[in-house]
Amino acid sequence: MKLEARHLDFGYRGRGVGHDVSLALDSGEVLCLLGPNGSGKTTLFKTLLGLLPAQGGQVLVDGTDLRHRRRDEVARDISYVPQAHAAFFPFTVREVVLMGRTAHLGVFSSPSRRDRDVAQAAIERMRLGPLAESIYTRISGGERQLTLIARALAQDARIIVMDEPTANLDFGNQVRVLEHIQALAEGGMGVLLSTHDPDQAFLCASRVALLHEGRLARLGGPGETITVESLKQIYGVDVAVVSVPVDSGEQRRVCLPLVKGARGPH
Amino acid sequence: MKRRRFLAAAAAATCLPYLGRAQTGRAVTDATGRRIELPERVERIYAAGPPASILVFAVAPDKLIGWTSAWRDAERPFIAKKYADLPALGRLTGRGNTANVEVVLRAKPDVIIDYGTVSPTIVSLAERVQQQTGIPYLLLDGDFGKMADAATRIGTIAGVEQQADEWARYIRETLAFINQRLATVPPERRPRVYYGRGPLGLTTGRKGSINVESIEQLGAINVAAVMGRGGLVQVSVEQVLLWNPDVVITIDANFYATARVHPLWRALPAVEAGRIYLAPNVPFGWIDFPPSVNRLIGLRWLARVLYPQVFPEDLRPVVREFYTRCYHQAPTEAQLDELLRHTP
Amino acid sequence: MRSRVALALAGACAAIAVMAIVAFSVGRFPISMGDFLSVLWAGVTGGQHGLDPTVETVIYQIRGPRVAAALLIGAALAGAGAAYQNMFRNPLVSPDILGVSAGAAMGAVLGIFLSLNVIAIQSLAFGFGLVAVGLVYVTANAVRGHDPLLVLVLAGVVIGALLGACVALMKYLADPYNQLPAITFWLLGSLASSAPQDVWSTLPLILIGLVPLWLLRWRVNLLSLDDEEARALGVETGKVRITVIVAATLMTAAAVSISGIIGWIGLVIPHFARMLVGPDFSRLLPTSILLGAAFLLGVDTLARTVAQIEIPLGVLTAFVGTPLFLWQLATARRGWQ
Repeated sequence: MKLEARHLDFGYRGRGVGHDVSLALDSGEVLCLLGPNGSGKTTLFKTLLGLLPAQGGQVLVDGTDLRHRRRDEVARDISYVPQAHAAFFPFTVREVVLMGRTAHLGVFSSPSRRDRDVAQAAIERMRLGPLAESIYTRISGGERQLTLIARALAQDARIIVMDEPTANLDFGNQVRVLEHIQALAEGGMGVLLSTHDPDQAFLCASRVALLHEGRLARLGGPGETITVESLKQIYGVDVAVVSVPVDSGEQRRVCLPLVKGARGPH
Repeated sequence: MKRRRFLAAAAAATCLPYLGRAQTGRAVTDATGRRIELPERVERIYAAGPPASILVFAVAPDKLIGWTSAWRDAERPFIAKKYADLPALGRLTGRGNTANVEVVLRAKPDVIIDYGTVSPTIVSLAERVQQQTGIPYLLLDGDFGKMADAATRIGTIAGVEQQADEWARYIRETLAFINQRLATVPPERRPRVYYGRGPLGLTTGRKGSINVESIEQLGAINVAAVMGRGGLVQVSVEQVLLWNPDVVITIDANFYATARVHPLWRALPAVEAGRIYLAPNVPFGWIDFPPSVNRLIGLRWLARVLYPQVFPEDLRPVVREFYTRCYHQAPTEAQLDELLRHTP
Repeated sequence: MRSRVALALAGACAAIAVMAIVAFSVGRFPISMGDFLSVLWAGVTGGQHGLDPTVETVIYQIRGPRVAAALLIGAALAGAGAAYQNMFRNPLVSPDILGVSAGAAMGAVLGIFLSLNVIAIQSLAFGFGLVAVGLVYVTANAVRGHDPLLVLVLAGVVIGALLGACVALMKYLADPYNQLPAITFWLLGSLASSAPQDVWSTLPLILIGLVPLWLLRWRVNLLSLDDEEARALGVETGKVRITVIVAATLMTAAAVSISGIIGWIGLVIPHFARMLVGPDFSRLLPTSILLGAAFLLGVDTLARTVAQIEIPLGVLTAFVGTPLFLWQLATARRGWQ
């Protein structure tokens, strides 16, 4: 399955946010959208999901324009993981994950036995089994984020769009989420996620898109896109990009901010 | 489930016409034009509101099964104890009813009678109660001019034709007497009257309102008539000053006391000249409150107040006769003194 | 959880059955439980009960419609309240929020003011209730670019206030002798004049409102999410929302047109139901409906037996509902969660 943006202009009514963005995401890929606050990442995502109308250009899923498709059809192809939020009513984790099955239900239907099985599988895949009957509003931020990912899994779409999935998570949970993202791609899903931490892009992305003032500054593999120059351009800070050897013998890239006056161990 | 079978049975019961009472073919047409079947003998009458209570009590006191509210201590001395002790059953008129339909049913009336303004709302409510309970519900027109007719109808319904005819005759004679004397008063000497209701005296009746019928019946000019036809309405002191009535009539003792010393009201020449009168109101008001046959004595009283030269007779014997007829008990001299205290 | 839900529903049904029997057996007209059951049995089997025929009148014409109306209206108001609370993501919402009660009040008061017959008054109440919500919806739609729910609520508040002012004006102009008592009494809510035709006319309307709510029960759960999130999950939120509004309004307008304004049920009952069975609408709706029916039946039975005169329902539900609500607030775990 392929999600594609062609010369996409996006924004809100009366206010353009981004122009002429073209990118594509295939199954099995992780595309990381990097950009500062206010660069239009969330707006772009909402337009790609069909939640906001495109102001120009097209969004295509397997070649068909999103504009002409029904909400539930789109939801069967693309799922959305927003940032974990506080909910209003005390649904259980299981019920929240089950909500992901809605796109597969008729308008007047309720989840069937099969839907519940799919939800259960998603819960187990995210290792949320012990929390399944807990109240969503009572678990931690990290657990909620994992629940929302499980929900997207239950939705059984080939493309999954994640809006800053590691925001508000502690270090351990961040790493765990990134591991899950890698696993999802290896399992055949196409993952589009946004972040403003270049290291996360290095960790899991197969390709990176740099968004700067509403336009695509770079698009390509992490090594070519995340450079000292490109980060200086979009963030206005000085960094060093270094390769570090890891246990298995391969080299990993890491991005180090150069903070003036920082003292090393002397 | 028990409920489902009950619902089926209830559905059957409500779709059938009510079969409870054996009607014997005696039918009466009430003020709404409905033809209503009555039982052969009517012994128990439920009066649905205060005006009906007084009417029924005046004509057929022993057939009345209860009042709409309990008699207060100030009112009790005017009627016999056995009547004052009749149960308070609540009012059934209008959607402001306080009567529980079950209470009415428990009292086992033969008919329900209401007396007053007849509007589509009240007619449809009467029909609903009749349909629900199977008790004939008659509406009589409370218009002043139809008072004699109303008394006659009570006679037919309750089988007390003799007393009813006596009443009708008394009503007609009183009205004739008053009209005869009034004929001698030329139009320019007809007084302008303001009728102030309520503790502030700022509620009055428009033209044709049942509450001011007495005034209009006497050929006096209701100053509020310029506001058109209708019922009661709120006005302001400025309006009354503008109208500048010759006479102010009230039924509220508080207003009567206040108006005579209040600077705003004293600006009225009528009040300053002492031509503000408090209508007696025990056991029931003489002008209004409720607007029923009790207004008949009010008419004589008002006639004397408005046209003292034309009606110079002492009111005492008139009041005595009326109270005896209406409340079936001759008032004592002390009671008469109290009633006529504020009369010129 | 399943067994707890089943227990709650069974308990509510049992409560209703018991309260119905009690309701039939109490009242100003003395009817014992035995008499009631005899009449019932006679009605079902077609036999004779041998009692005073007035007993039958009271049961079928007076208490029967009243019990049925109480159950229907309690169910309708609680069901509409549950739907609205989910939809507006706010447990402090009642079915009146979009102005249906204000509209119905205006319709009824207008009917009384014009001295129309009872059917006309009820029809005006129903019609104006629907029109008020329609007006709110149209107004909210005309204002763009804001959170759709917030705009709905604001429009409801504003138009409700306007209609309230109209009602106040008509009360002022009404004849204090003939009309004002009727108006005041209607506004306070009462089932004292319930007649069989009221029940037959309201029942289909309430069912027409309930059916879509039940069919959409899963989607109503999703309405409690952020609008974009729900759409990303495949829900046509606009369509679901308007269906819920129409259904809930139909139920509330039908109920209010025969009973007058009865508050608290749509607000408090869904709370209790949520405490018992959780927020899942497929459980919340039936529980709310049964609890609402039981509650109003209980309150109405009190209203006609506790004092010499009938106590208006709107007053009594507040007197009973307020302490219950405060108790629930005090003992519940953090807020409504």
